[in-house]
Amino acid sequence: MFLSSAIRSAVSQTARQVRSLHRSAARAGAGGIFVHRDTADNNPDTPFEFTAENKKRIEAIISMYPLGHKQAATIPVLDLAQRQHGWLPISAMNKVAEVLEVAPMRVYEVATFYTMFLRQPVGKYFIQICTTTPCMLCNSDSILEALKTKLGIKVGETTPDKMFTLIEVECLGACVNAPMVQINDNYYEDLTAEDMDHIIDELKAGRVPPPGPRNGRFSCEPAGGLTSLTEPPPGPGVGVRADL
Amino acid sequence: MAEYVNIVRRALGQLGGHGGVRGFFVQLFRANDVKTGALIGVDKYGNKYFEDSKNYFFGRHRWVLYTTEMNGKNTMWEVDGSMVPAEWHRWLHCMTDDPPTTHPPVPRKFLAETHQFNVSATPQQYVPFSTTPKKIHEWVPPRAH
Amino acid sequence: MLRFPAVGRALSGAAKGSLAPSNSVRTQSRAAGTMVEVFVDGKPVEVEPGTTVLQACEKVGIQIPRFCYHERLSVAGNCRMCLVEIEKAPKPVAACAMPVMKGWNILTNSDKTRKAREGVMEFLLANHPLDCPICDQGGECDLQDQSMQFGSDRSRFTENKRAVEDKNIGPLIKTIMTRCIQCTRCVRFASEIAGVEDLGTTGRGNNLQIGTYVEKMFMSELSGNVIDICPVGALTSKPYAFTARPWETRKTESIDVLDAVGSNIVVSTRGGEVMRIMPRLNEDVNEEWISDKTRFAYDGLKRQRLTQPMVKDASGQLTATSWEDALTRVAGALQGAQGSEVAAIAGGLADAESLVALKDLLNRLNSDSLCTEELFPMDGAGTDLRSNYLLNTRIAGVEDSDVLLLVGTNPRYEAPLFNARIRKSWLHNELRVALVGRQVDLSYTYDHLGEESAVLQELASGTHPFCEVLRAAKRPMVVVGSSALQRADGAGILAAVSALAQNARASSGVDEGWKVLNVLHRVASQVAALDLGYKAGVEAIRNNPPKILYLLGADAGCITRADLPKDSLVIYQGHHGDVGAPMADIILPGAAYTEKNATYVNTEGRSQQTRIAVTAPGTAREDWQIIRALSELAGVALPYDTVDEVRSRLAEVSPNLTRYDDVEGANYFKQANELASAVDQTLLAAPLVPPQLTAKDFYMTDSISRSSQTMAKCVKAITEGASAVDEPSIC
Repeated sequence: MFLSSAIRSAVSQTARQVRSLHRSAARAGAGGIFVHRDTADNNPDTPFEFTAENKKRIEAIISMYPLGHKQAATIPVLDLAQRQHGWLPISAMNKVAEVLEVAPMRVYEVATFYTMFLRQPVGKYFIQICTTTPCMLCNSDSILEALKTKLGIKVGETTPDKMFTLIEVECLGACVNAPMVQINDNYYEDLTAEDMDHIIDELKAGRVPPPGPRNGRFSCEPAGGLTSLTEPPPGPGVGVRADL
Repeated sequence: MAEYVNIVRRALGQLGGHGGVRGFFVQLFRANDVKTGALIGVDKYGNKYFEDSKNYFFGRHRWVLYTTEMNGKNTMWEVDGSMVPAEWHRWLHCMTDDPPTTHPPVPRKFLAETHQFNVSATPQQYVPFSTTPKKIHEWVPPRAH
Repeated sequence: MLRFPAVGRALSGAAKGSLAPSNSVRTQSRAAGTMVEVFVDGKPVEVEPGTTVLQACEKVGIQIPRFCYHERLSVAGNCRMCLVEIEKAPKPVAACAMPVMKGWNILTNSDKTRKAREGVMEFLLANHPLDCPICDQGGECDLQDQSMQFGSDRSRFTENKRAVEDKNIGPLIKTIMTRCIQCTRCVRFASEIAGVEDLGTTGRGNNLQIGTYVEKMFMSELSGNVIDICPVGALTSKPYAFTARPWETRKTESIDVLDAVGSNIVVSTRGGEVMRIMPRLNEDVNEEWISDKTRFAYDGLKRQRLTQPMVKDASGQLTATSWEDALTRVAGALQGAQGSEVAAIAGGLADAESLVALKDLLNRLNSDSLCTEELFPMDGAGTDLRSNYLLNTRIAGVEDSDVLLLVGTNPRYEAPLFNARIRKSWLHNELRVALVGRQVDLSYTYDHLGEESAVLQELASGTHPFCEVLRAAKRPMVVVGSSALQRADGAGILAAVSALAQNARASSGVDEGWKVLNVLHRVASQVAALDLGYKAGVEAIRNNPPKILYLLGADAGCITRADLPKDSLVIYQGHHGDVGAPMADIILPGAAYTEKNATYVNTEGRSQQTRIAVTAPGTAREDWQIIRALSELAGVALPYDTVDEVRSRLAEVSPNLTRYDDVEGANYFKQANELASAVDQTLLAAPLVPPQLTAKDFYMTDSISRSSQTMAKCVKAITEGASAVDEPSIC
């Protein structure tokens, strides 16, 4: 009896330890450590300069904020830098600080806080697959499996040709169209494994397939057709007293 | 009656047993005692070891008369307990009843050839070095050239 | 130790009859209005509108526990330790950030409040390591104290603790980031007080950490203060690591002498050894900060010390001797000397007692060749008018000023705490700063008017564009660095600055009490020496070399053997073998500032006293006592035997020297300006370049800091990077 209680407590203890060891899915780009380590492709000397077009955009962004509050433009300008470079090397953050006339540390603080700022190199197509409960119930595991076999990489890795980076993320807010993936800015929804293969093939071929649901839905209307509010909406004045 | 005679005989023996009047006084001043006993042995430095367990109680029954010159030092008046060599020390302090005359010590390589005095309180004594760091590092003036 | 200086301040303020001292930037900016009545545990208290709950509680003497709140920093409100219940409010509020409303009843010890504190404490301790036995903060840790006072008596935490990697932010501050509770006090200190935005919070949620993100040193001359404001052991002192516990040390309240600000310090000692130096609150001087040199140069007090008298033997080698021998030789030489054949030079660390004793001794020998190492123009009014060489507006006066003109100075490294005041005023009071001199990083923005001395003449004559700003100023201030006055044309510069200040005063229409002209000194002894009538500069000695030269801690090397005749006798009295000692024939070991009761006058003319924290090493003695003993042997015994008698002599010469913690005002600017017009007004073309330009020049400026290994490490770290002086840490 003593032995069994000891075993039980040991097991429950271990289970708790395992729980605390659990981390959310490995994140390339934004994840990892919150200090900077110089690497060959991410160091203060990594070349980064805003294009002339983006410089104009920065001016426009800054002009939206009151005079003397350039710091307010940190997030949009960082986003601009990320869109230009694909991800945010330390030199890009320094450049943003220089443009906004703030201390570099203030930019690092913002860039490390938001997970959508990618501080590690990613591929051209950054695939975020949602595996949170609603997507999981709609068999997101098969989508993930399809992606893994198609790309030949595991979660958190980048293909050798630097085209695709695959990560698992928590809910992206498209549960009604589960399962879904986000590739760069586009949501691909209501997927099947074949859809996923097709999307990857298109991307490999250099075309960007149209975003949105893949099962014929226009948006987030009920998948099996309307079950209520099926009749056309009544015109104005319905049910109102006649004398008004 | 006989014990009184014995006492007188011992007294006379003690008075005359040290080589006349001069010897008696020398013994009295050097050892603070004039008792006589059986000479058990003499070590190589000249210290004489006596025993009389019949007339003295345990603890006083073995004694040494120090030599007058040992290891080049005049020990006529400056005697020291550490003049007793190791082999006799055991017998003298009653660790054993076998004097080295009858039971020579087992030769060991760590036993000293020549017995050394204790050097405590002399300039030769061992002084351990300090293990605490210096609190103040003083300035050392540069060498003049 | 809970550090609640605000309470002490509030109490002292109440004693003076005003709760808001006029020199405080924060309180002044608060709009005055009708008072609001609130209740603290039912006790009514009248506070100004905008007062926070925490301040209202402090007003009635109730301390709310806190970690992130610090009254000299902006409110962050992220530790949640100060949660208190407000009657009829649904949720507890963060006392540090919530302004009070009329009629609130603040319950500081209700069940809900206590439960909130216990809950917050449990969260804070969830990721805090239980390494108090090996933590340097142990015994003075806010988290330790408050968890004893407000925390639960047991832990329910069975998960794993978070760990954060340590950062190397330089040779002064040791980081154990796992202990950090993310109060962000250090981040706010760095960006608000120090003006160095190197620290920040990276990451989010459980992974939030304090750091520099990139490998970088926390490069500030005030960096050591983050050790004091860190409520846990995350930021501790590297030189002090594992050396002493706070309850083992004896604390002596003293004064710092390594710059002319005269910061108030506490010297912690154990077993006759200085273990560390910490700041002491003085609103008028250093607030509660001290510079890194003040804080970390103490290991210089243990190295290169002169511990016994020395004389040169026949071969010219300095050898140790007895006091009798050394003093007899000096006295014999003094007896045989004619008046002007004896001269003395006082160094930057000399105290007022020894200065007056030395002056009395030489005067009795009919000599008046008493000089200070630091130069000051003696033409015109020179040092005769006291207002000519003081920081007349006072350090705290910067907070009332609206335009500040700096001339030929870099206050950031010459007087870091004065610079912190300027920055404070710049940040909160919109102080406008302009600089004439080499462009340097002052940790705030300023108008750089140029580094040529011609700019100064333009300003004085009113033709420079910046004169418009000066004219419009309500309370202008002009600060000239002592180094600018040490050029060959120092008198001309002083005259120009004086005229400029006089013009600014006239145009501002400010009342007589406001002073415009300020001189920022760099050494602690200078003001006292000038008050006592020492001549500034060694030019007189160089022109007229004496037979006997008495160096009182003169380590700047302005007189060398080459300036003196071959047969002259040099006596060095001081505490370090630095520059002065090797050229001496006789060395008399004196006491350093932690080893004597001595008077020092800071650059604003405030006399303060140091106190004995440790005994002088070896046979070294207090400096005035050495001179007193010498006078007796030389047959001209000085009439004082105790330090009190010396001080009454000081008061005879200059009464302000013994009015401790008080500033004797001086106000003869008009006369000084008139006298200055008599001197040669032409300025040299050379640009105004202060000697301390970058942080590298800051750390080693005097005999104590030059002997300090910590300071040497700082210089090395700056030139070669923090990893060059990195030592393997034990934990």
